[in-house]
Amino acid sequence: MELIRIPGVEVRRVSRTAALPAVAMLLLAACGGSSSTGGGLGTGDLLVGVIAPFTGADAGLGPAYLAACLAAAPSINNNGGVGGRQVKCQQFDTRGEPADAVPAASQMIASNHNLMAVVGCTSDEAATVAPIIDRAHIPMFCMTGQSEFNKTALKYFHRLVPADIFDAYAMVGYALYGPKHQAYQNAALVFGNDIGSQAFVAPATNAFTKLGGKIAINQPISLTPGTSYRTEVAQMLASHPDVILTEALGAAGTYLKEVKTQNGGQMIPFIGTSATIDPTWFADVKAAIGVDDLVKYYAGVDLGYTFSGPAYTEFITNLNAAASTMADAPKYKQRGSTLHLYDGIIMTALAMVETNSSDPTVYNPEIKIIANGTSGATDVHTYKEGVDALHAGKTIRFMGAGGQNNFDQYNNSQSGYIWVNYDAQGNEIPIGQMTPDQTQKISAAGGI
Amino acid sequence: MNTYYAANLLIYAGVDIIACLSLNLVFGVSGIVNFSFIVFQAVGAYTTAVLSLPPDSTSGYDFQHYIGGFNLPFPIPWIGGALAGGLLAIPVGFVVLRKLRSDYQAIALLVMSVIANTVITNADKFLNGAAGLALVPQPLSTQVDPSTDAYYYLYVGITAVAVVIVLIVANRIVNSPYGRSLRAMRERELAATAIGKNPVAMKMTVFIVGGVIAGLSGAILVGFIALWAPSVWLYPETIILFAAVIVGGKGNNIGAILGALLVPVGFEEVTRFIPPIGPVGLIPALQWVAIGLLIIGFLWFRPDGVRPESRRVFEGGPAREVR
Amino acid sequence: MDLYLEALGFGLVSMSVIAIAAVGFTMQFGITNMINLAYGEVMISSAYVAYYINRAGISIWIGMLAAAVFGAVFSFLLNRFVYAPFQAKGTSLIGMVIVSLAVSLMIANLLLPIVGYYSVSYENATGDLLHFGPIILTTNQIAIIGVALLLMLVIHGLLRYTRLGKAMRATAANPTLARNCGIPTRRVIDVVWLITGALCGMAGTVAAINSDSFAIANGASFLITVLAAAVLGGAGQPYGAMIGAVLIGVITELSAATWSPQYKEVVAFGILVLVMVLRPQGLLAKRGALAAAG
Repeated sequence: MELIRIPGVEVRRVSRTAALPAVAMLLLAACGGSSSTGGGLGTGDLLVGVIAPFTGADAGLGPAYLAACLAAAPSINNNGGVGGRQVKCQQFDTRGEPADAVPAASQMIASNHNLMAVVGCTSDEAATVAPIIDRAHIPMFCMTGQSEFNKTALKYFHRLVPADIFDAYAMVGYALYGPKHQAYQNAALVFGNDIGSQAFVAPATNAFTKLGGKIAINQPISLTPGTSYRTEVAQMLASHPDVILTEALGAAGTYLKEVKTQNGGQMIPFIGTSATIDPTWFADVKAAIGVDDLVKYYAGVDLGYTFSGPAYTEFITNLNAAASTMADAPKYKQRGSTLHLYDGIIMTALAMVETNSSDPTVYNPEIKIIANGTSGATDVHTYKEGVDALHAGKTIRFMGAGGQNNFDQYNNSQSGYIWVNYDAQGNEIPIGQMTPDQTQKISAAGGI
Repeated sequence: MNTYYAANLLIYAGVDIIACLSLNLVFGVSGIVNFSFIVFQAVGAYTTAVLSLPPDSTSGYDFQHYIGGFNLPFPIPWIGGALAGGLLAIPVGFVVLRKLRSDYQAIALLVMSVIANTVITNADKFLNGAAGLALVPQPLSTQVDPSTDAYYYLYVGITAVAVVIVLIVANRIVNSPYGRSLRAMRERELAATAIGKNPVAMKMTVFIVGGVIAGLSGAILVGFIALWAPSVWLYPETIILFAAVIVGGKGNNIGAILGALLVPVGFEEVTRFIPPIGPVGLIPALQWVAIGLLIIGFLWFRPDGVRPESRRVFEGGPAREVR
Repeated sequence: MDLYLEALGFGLVSMSVIAIAAVGFTMQFGITNMINLAYGEVMISSAYVAYYINRAGISIWIGMLAAAVFGAVFSFLLNRFVYAPFQAKGTSLIGMVIVSLAVSLMIANLLLPIVGYYSVSYENATGDLLHFGPIILTTNQIAIIGVALLLMLVIHGLLRYTRLGKAMRATAANPTLARNCGIPTRRVIDVVWLITGALCGMAGTVAAINSDSFAIANGASFLITVLAAAVLGGAGQPYGAMIGAVLIGVITELSAATWSPQYKEVVAFGILVLVMVLRPQGLLAKRGALAAAG
């Protein structure tokens, strides 16, 4: 009997516990106890919330973002913190679907009154979670390429990765203008039928066909685990493409192995989206078709990272040190999203120092300014450099591990795309990029 | 923002209570194992969404493709959602509610749930495929600003009204002669037929009513989270609700409410407060293990649930049957 | 036309994989009256056992035998400690389905923290490509077909020609009568779980070889396909399961060739539902050795 009663009691206890901070906050606010505009940086730890899938179908996304926070925290904490306040990281699992993401986000906000920024929010849940975080006035750095955020009105939303359509244009650009090969004429589009993948098909089709190419076949594939893609590959080969454009996360290895098998051991050139720049994808495809073919026939698109410089050096030192908390952290040393979120957190900290405020309504607008820079701003690459420059009375522009940022009026930032190959160890090697002229042509053909 | 979290919990509790009441009617009282329950909730949500969204060519909404888009004001989309749930019950019922033995029925419904999810995910233009429908207008959002706390008090209030209505309907059914016939059919279908009850017609009716209630729960949920995608209604969601009804006690409405509070709300939310220890994903995985143990434990030790169905005994009647 | 013949060839491989699993599943149902929804998870756990052995440098075909042993023991214990006690208690058919569902949830989630979310694959050369007209198959795939044929023959021999087989068929037809005739039904059931568990383990390995990479999530999708084949052929009928596997395997590949590949599973399940509506007892009539109950 007792065994059965206890769960019931616990539920009630939880609701009361959730209500207590609310009551406390109301009292505090009434007494004017919270920090106010420009009123100093406050005391106690600061929290960066990592809200992303850590379980479910997209469980691979969360850890990359957590790694970014675990690397950013020491960069800040070892250099005086934010006015002495230490930055901590905490994960909030959305389970990869919106109905679970909503309570995750609202619990994150309700239980933590020292949230300085939120990172993560992928395509799986951004549409529901971003408005909640925006309402709570907390700056967020979201990892979603969905076009609904291209012209967002949410002031606290920041996107450091371009919309998916730009990925598609870069892929088409490589197909038409890439080095080391003649322009491809017949493209096979092999994308998974999940949220992330399907957004590429329309822009890629438009751009490629308007510029003279032909789509040999558009083959959306089901990403159900356990599918072998034999018939699909046979169909695709029967359409005689000279290049395959693909993002089919989780199925790529199986599909490509089948391509190689049915084509008599001969691989067809294939171009991947920026999501294919990922250690898991590399390992999967390497096991499937062998590292030689992967190096020879694969091209990918990615934002133009240099993976060098003072910002990157500090990033990688701290990322490797984070292995004590999260064993896999060093794996993400070349992951675009990890680099960008790392930068986002540091820029937020600098914004707080610059405005001398722990009130997000005050420091949120400053983040963009620090990222874009104003005329006469000093370029800084690390948190320490930034704080020193600010204390010397200068204005700053932050150029971090992920490179330069340019936020437009909708808080979307882009840096240019480059084309890359993998080397045998899975490192990214830049091989070229589109000229502004080519970019212009493709965007016009694709239609933004 | 604590108001928001509190409202979130209350609204989810309301939705789960309504869902469990529906499942209790269909499974607890009538013995139909509807393993595709979540599809009825989904159909309600999708219908509500396409009724309240503006046409997909509207600027700001044109990144998605969907049918409908009539931009109707509250409460029409909710009524539409509930009706859609009931309508779906008709073809599904025709397919399964006949001479299939109960475990076959269950499997057929489970498979249908998987099929539905796959079809919707792949049919991009129908309901926007895997990405689902976003920016769904919330009820009464033109009258009360959804960014205020007041809106959420309002929403909790509306949900509570819905719960009360459903509870009244469910009570009337369970405690009525019709309810008696349903229970008779559940226990001894042959005997019930012998005294002139038509099991198929009864099952169909209760299935439709269950569908309407399930559709309503979907409407309420989508109105709150303003988004609906295939990832929200995978078949394990049905299992959680079944666990809730079994744990709470099937066959009676209080049991269904208890189950809703204990399992989907209590259980799922409590685990958010557990710090993430061990390898990534350990806590959520253990949560599922615990749900499995809960089901097995209850089916072994206390198959009637926390609050068993009250045995209806008539004075001077025959001795009670041993279950 | 060539594409269809090619698809037919692929269908042969698919159906071999499904057949091994479906026969095991349907025998569990026929003899113990248990729709074992944890079957898919047992399959995938066995595939992982084979994976760990394979990683130690041993050939995957040996790993498959190890997986068979694992599957046998696992299924046997599952029945002994979970299913049989519930059945003895008089739990309803639906209660048993729910129990097996709960078990499958637990297995999948206990395994998850151990093996992780990411897909893994076996170390296993694909082998050469062989051409039979327009049909192309690798030596690996031919091996899979061979294994399936062998197992089908073994099961057929077991059921038809051995005393154990006769005892199994008797228990399936009428357990009480069988017991009264002196057949040790409890032991027969134990043996059935061992044999079908072994089939399950081998099926899991073969399916993993076939799909090239696998993760825990595969368990649930295997299960649905196996269900489809078993019920299609007539639940409880091993020959029916074989036929069901052939149909599902071939139809899935053919529909991928004719129509859109994303819907190929939908087609298979759609057929299942159609059969359940029009002919719930499945394709093979209820008469025969291992008749489905009720």
